[in-house]
Amino acid sequence: MSEVDLTLREQAAGIAAGEIDPAGLLDATLSRIEERDPALNAVVETFPEQSREMLAVAPPGPLHGVPVVVKDEWPLPWRAERFGSAEMLVPSSPGESGPYRALRDAGAVIVGVGNMHELGASSTGNISVYGPARNPWDTERCPGGSSSGSAAAVAGRLVAGAVGADGLGSIRYPAAYCGLTGLKPTFGRSAMDGHHVAKITETVVSGPLCADAADCRLLASALFGAELQPAAAPPLRIGVIRDPVSEDVNPEVGEACETAIEELRAETGGSLIEVELPRLELTVLATVLIANTEQLHGASPERLNDLDPGISPLGRGIIKYRALIPAAAAIQARRLRTVVRHHLAALFEQVDVLAWPTVPAPAPPLEAPLVELPSGTLTADQANVRGGALANLTGIPAISVPVGLSSERLPIALQLSAAWGRDELLLDAAEALERANGRRWVEQRPPLAGAAPAADSL
Amino acid sequence: MSAEGASAAFVETGLAAMGIEVDEVEIAVIRAAHELYWPAILELLSVDTGGVEPEPNPDLSRRP
Repeated sequence: MSEVDLTLREQAAGIAAGEIDPAGLLDATLSRIEERDPALNAVVETFPEQSREMLAVAPPGPLHGVPVVVKDEWPLPWRAERFGSAEMLVPSSPGESGPYRALRDAGAVIVGVGNMHELGASSTGNISVYGPARNPWDTERCPGGSSSGSAAAVAGRLVAGAVGADGLGSIRYPAAYCGLTGLKPTFGRSAMDGHHVAKITETVVSGPLCADAADCRLLASALFGAELQPAAAPPLRIGVIRDPVSEDVNPEVGEACETAIEELRAETGGSLIEVELPRLELTVLATVLIANTEQLHGASPERLNDLDPGISPLGRGIIKYRALIPAAAAIQARRLRTVVRHHLAALFEQVDVLAWPTVPAPAPPLEAPLVELPSGTLTADQANVRGGALANLTGIPAISVPVGLSSERLPIALQLSAAWGRDELLLDAAEALERANGRRWVEQRPPLAGAAPAADSL
Repeated sequence: MSAEGASAAFVETGLAAMGIEVDEVEIAVIRAAHELYWPAILELLSVDTGGVEPEPNPDLSRRP
């Protein structure tokens, strides 16, 4: 096995112990990207010279010498981000973004930029100025979006960790589709400087995508600028809801998530509590409205009439549609957010975590990202946003953890969310779930990653 | 004009009023998005939030 296949923490520990040469690891990682990425289109740019310069001056931090990928959503000192698009409404320029500084200060080496869905505008990853990233579990399937390349790069074992961004589920959906663990941190806890909406956003955060919770903890610690200590998960009071978000799902997804929830309860000696989240459908809409109006930054009519024709027709349409969102609706969305945040504050007195499927169906085809649910056929975006929006609307943290494989050998994932600031609890809970299932799902490898140990579906 | 017709006209007249130009594909995308979201937007606008107002300068990293 190549050292590129090790976990993030194994790479870090090996380098710290002098057992792994970080320059050799960097070269091996670049070779791995060259070898495997043509099938994935996960990493849209490498820059060996700058990566080697980062390594040469890397401090002895917790990620010293470890290669990571960063989503095309932040500038680097040598590269402006493109946001997966031919053009951004407000042009970007190279610079030291928050994630860059956080990774640099932790000793990490940025080895490449991860592909993403154009303008961050979908949960699928099937449209990008670079062409779509592909899911390592089935390269004809969506990797999830918008942090598509970050997820595909880790799932394809090009790197052990990647930084994504999550403004409407964009870390958790690709984590789910690619069989990874992905953390959407509490709003404001992770490095965001340099993001094009950093100063106005109420929804977007940076976060880690890794093979498992321990690696997410390590990478999140770098992004938070504080070590996230592990602890034994307490007896978890797990909140479940009777709502389309947990019931209008592919039967295999429903079964795997119910099994995982019961395993988590048993592992921690906890309890299941049925709870209510009233008006969840409108909560989703409120999130969509707030997230979309944030992206109106720089959208004057003149600017909208001068869009680069390289932006996809769908992307151009979405950008222009945003101008039609009534201000009254955007304000009402914020009123509803206040109501929901108060409701959640009371709810988290009764439960420690909320649990439901991250996405209601496994990764759909790139060519037609539709999902079949008991209620009928929906676009993946319509279906996925039901489960992802609440955390972005309210600021709470959420994590997606792999909990199964479908009969088509596509990953299935459970989402756990917790109260503000309880990111550590989510990581502890994810590790408890890994123990409960014998790390069966986090150690699965897609065929493209070279090792697919025989394991049953579900 | 019917509510349905007024809703459809909202797209064209809204874009025209702002001087935003669209091609055939863009207008199809915008109409689809409008059809998807408009009924829910109207429902959202009709929700009684019990006098609750948006949090001023909300700190979304903490409970309200």
